[in-house]
Amino acid sequence: MLETKLYESDIRPDWCPGCGDFGALSAVKNALASLEIEPHNVLISSGIGCASNFPGFIRTYGHHGLHGRPLPVAVGAKLANPSLTVLAIAGDGDEYGIGFNHVVHTARRNHDVKLLVLNNEVYGLTTGQLSPTSVFGQRTKTTPYGSSIYPLNPLSTLLGVGATFVARGFSGQVKQLSELIQAAIKHRGFSIVDILSPCVTWNDIYDNVRSRMYSLDTVSHDRTNLHAALDRSKETEKIPLGIFFQNEDSPSFDELLHKTVNNRFPVNEVKHMTEEEKKVAISIFS
Amino acid sequence: MTDKDITIRLGAAAGDGIQSAGEILTRMLSMSGQYVCTYNGNQSLIRGGHVWFHIHAGNWRVTSLGNGIDYMLALNQIAFDEHIGKINQGGAIIFDPKTVKAGTIPAGVTPIRLPLTEIALKYDKRPLMKNTVGIGALAALLGIDRKEIGEVIQLQFGSKGKQIVEGNVNAALEGYGLAAKSFVPTKSLEFDYSKKRMFTHADFALAAGAVNAGCKFYAAYPMSPASPILHYMAINAEKMGISVLLAEDEIAAMCATIGAAYAGARAMCATSGGGFALMQEALGMAAMNETPIVVVDVMRAGPSTGLPTKTSQGDLNMMLGISQDDFPRVIIAPRNSEETFNTMGRAFNIAEKWQVPVIVLLDFGIGDGGYSTVDNLDFEEPIDRGKLLTEVGDEGTWFKRYELTDDNVSPRVLPGTPNGMFVAKTDEHDEYGHDLSDVEAGLQHAVEKRVEMMNKRMGKLTGIAVEMNLPEVAGPADADVTLVSWGSTSNPIREAMRQLWAEGVKVNSVEFCDLFPLRWKEVAKMLRKARHLIDVESNYTAQMAGLIARETGIMIEDRLLTYSGEPLEPAEVVEKVKNVLKKEIGVSVRNKAL
Ligand SMILES: Cc1ncc(C[n+]2csc(CCOP(=O)(O)OP(=O)(O)O)c2C)c(N)n1
Ligand code: SF4
Ligand SMILES: [Mg+2]
Repeated sequence: MLETKLYESDIRPDWCPGCGDFGALSAVKNALASLEIEPHNVLISSGIGCASNFPGFIRTYGHHGLHGRPLPVAVGAKLANPSLTVLAIAGDGDEYGIGFNHVVHTARRNHDVKLLVLNNEVYGLTTGQLSPTSVFGQRTKTTPYGSSIYPLNPLSTLLGVGATFVARGFSGQVKQLSELIQAAIKHRGFSIVDILSPCVTWNDIYDNVRSRMYSLDTVSHDRTNLHAALDRSKETEKIPLGIFFQNEDSPSFDELLHKTVNNRFPVNEVKHMTEEEKKVAISIFS
Repeated sequence: MTDKDITIRLGAAAGDGIQSAGEILTRMLSMSGQYVCTYNGNQSLIRGGHVWFHIHAGNWRVTSLGNGIDYMLALNQIAFDEHIGKINQGGAIIFDPKTVKAGTIPAGVTPIRLPLTEIALKYDKRPLMKNTVGIGALAALLGIDRKEIGEVIQLQFGSKGKQIVEGNVNAALEGYGLAAKSFVPTKSLEFDYSKKRMFTHADFALAAGAVNAGCKFYAAYPMSPASPILHYMAINAEKMGISVLLAEDEIAAMCATIGAAYAGARAMCATSGGGFALMQEALGMAAMNETPIVVVDVMRAGPSTGLPTKTSQGDLNMMLGISQDDFPRVIIAPRNSEETFNTMGRAFNIAEKWQVPVIVLLDFGIGDGGYSTVDNLDFEEPIDRGKLLTEVGDEGTWFKRYELTDDNVSPRVLPGTPNGMFVAKTDEHDEYGHDLSDVEAGLQHAVEKRVEMMNKRMGKLTGIAVEMNLPEVAGPADADVTLVSWGSTSNPIREAMRQLWAEGVKVNSVEFCDLFPLRWKEVAKMLRKARHLIDVESNYTAQMAGLIARETGIMIEDRLLTYSGEPLEPAEVVEKVKNVLKKEIGVSVRNKAL
């Protein structure tokens, strides 16, 4: 295990005191230290929102980009430099709303990037509007009489599109969350960890989560069984936490690509075509 | 050697194989020492409708479509009806009287009636080979050596097996024999079978040029007329080690390109106008976090879905203004396929040296829609990655990725480098890439830093302008009329000027390939030398004239514009110049089908 202080930034998080995202930040640092991945080999790609302020609060390479777009940036970076550990970290609005298209296709193609969604079931940074995971009846500025929309179930949806690693964590349980993140990083291909991360300002769900959560480790759940995973993901009374599903039989996009095109480390590879390549390049010109 | 050239057109329904027939003929001419320039009259459908293929070939460097049609192959009725009126005196039209009813044929045009379908059916159950028979017939009119036919058909169909090749060769030779008997050529070319010329369109040239510049990452979502770039990359991915991502949309394509560039690859994406509109937020991101990328717009006629298979230069204003607020961007519009290939090394160098997005603008006319000869491909443009560090000292928690420097370019480091950590940020940021937008926003030091950061980014434009090429002046220095163009419209201008010079008209042209940023004072000096300026471009509002006015104060009021979707023809430029010399000044718009 490396020292977590290696990942310590000199920038103080600007999250509200008590925000769930602090727990997620500790868990990510702990996970990287436990797996002994040095800060310079980690890239965190985020979007826009409270959750997406993550890079910079942890000392790794960071890309703090556009609302909804952390995944495609992560996908490109991983393809260009396969030796990086690439995480995408953002909020529920970012990933399940404006950027959900990318989540579906990154999962389906099984890119070797790890998505951590800090899910507070609300648009935090824009002052608490309804998000795709806000619950039926939730009162927000945009739903003053309570929401009449049923929420998106990100886990069952992603199981449906063929995600190979699907988990849910809680930012109030840093140790367990760190373990989930470690498993996600080690997974062969795309992984998603939906992290319930309460927004104390607009949607404080700490007590609600605590009273309904249980660990999948305490029941006999077979994480290789897609149907069992779907059943668990559809539970509404209780909130299961842990790894719902994992399948390492299929290769990641990056592995397949590496086999066919042998994508190499880019820095040394920026050079002109070889004579052989030139011939191929212009063979189509005559 | 006297100048000789010829124009040929093949017309049929989509699915009749007119594209490959046109390619075969283009190849035959190129292998006989001819320069070529072609245009693909596509429709946005896969079968039916009417498509045609136009070829201009000659022993001089043709750049455009020539004048009218000398020889025509019409495989169906629309092809005959649409084009018969454009055939030149002394020209000929080949058709099968069983499928085409010839109405009145203009005087001076020879009808050549051949049993195309009947011959085709001898070699295959379906009449598909009728276009091959037609090619043979055209080859006879052109006077190409019959030996060439076998060689070219082998090249085109070799992969489909011996039987198919033989069938096609025999079908073509039969057409050749019949046509040779029924027509005495009125126009001839000068062949040199020892000179094998290469040709391609700007999409393929761009892809090849990018790969030679070290581009190893390409992302795209299919969109005409940019798709051939994607196909080229995919076909060559394995042999050349290119990572190709068929993204879920253009937003993802652009963001993945930025991710790959951030991680150190030379990365590129391409699309057409609609896809570019989706990329706009991310284009600003690349400029804001100073990630070098090359992005391509192969323009088609808009607005909105517009005419997917027709040409236009309507996206210049979009490129100048796309994405919120001011940021540095570079815009280059190569004039033809050869220049496109030779531009790509420079495009990547500018992107990396100045850490900015570089936009390359092509259009359907020279992209997917038209081949031209490529003679001089420069594979040797040196690769310059700018201030790219491979090592960083241990100087603190974060690396000063956005350090303020004299030339406004900060040292860049790639993820994976120890001690180099920073955050590439779309929020306004300080030199380490930390937010100025949250807890610091509005504080005195943050306000000052914001202004410094804007100045740093925008200040790059001054340095880049020094490296950009001024427009090329073609023709005599002393001219009564100066034609101003950018990108592909220079091509019909070049052919028009040859005709005008032959008639003693003093005309020259100022042709922009690099569009922005430029040393505008020098551009103004060039333009002020002209006695009379005519702006020639393919859009409604004369967008380049607008840019020139904005940057130099020079308003070019006399204009030749087209927004019909069809490329300009040299004859229209000739006519415009002559009218101007007769003092008929103003805006002229064309609306003729080719
Ligand atoms: C294209 C675009 N649209 C809208 C916004 C405004 N915006 C910023 S953050 C945000 C929502 C954030 O919600 P979420 O992703 O759940 O993150 P949280 O703040 O809850 O952590 C929105 C809509 C934006 N930055 N960009
Ligand atoms: S608004 Fe909510 S999500 Fe944002 S920092 Fe505050 S508590 Fe956290
Ligand atoms: Mg949220």
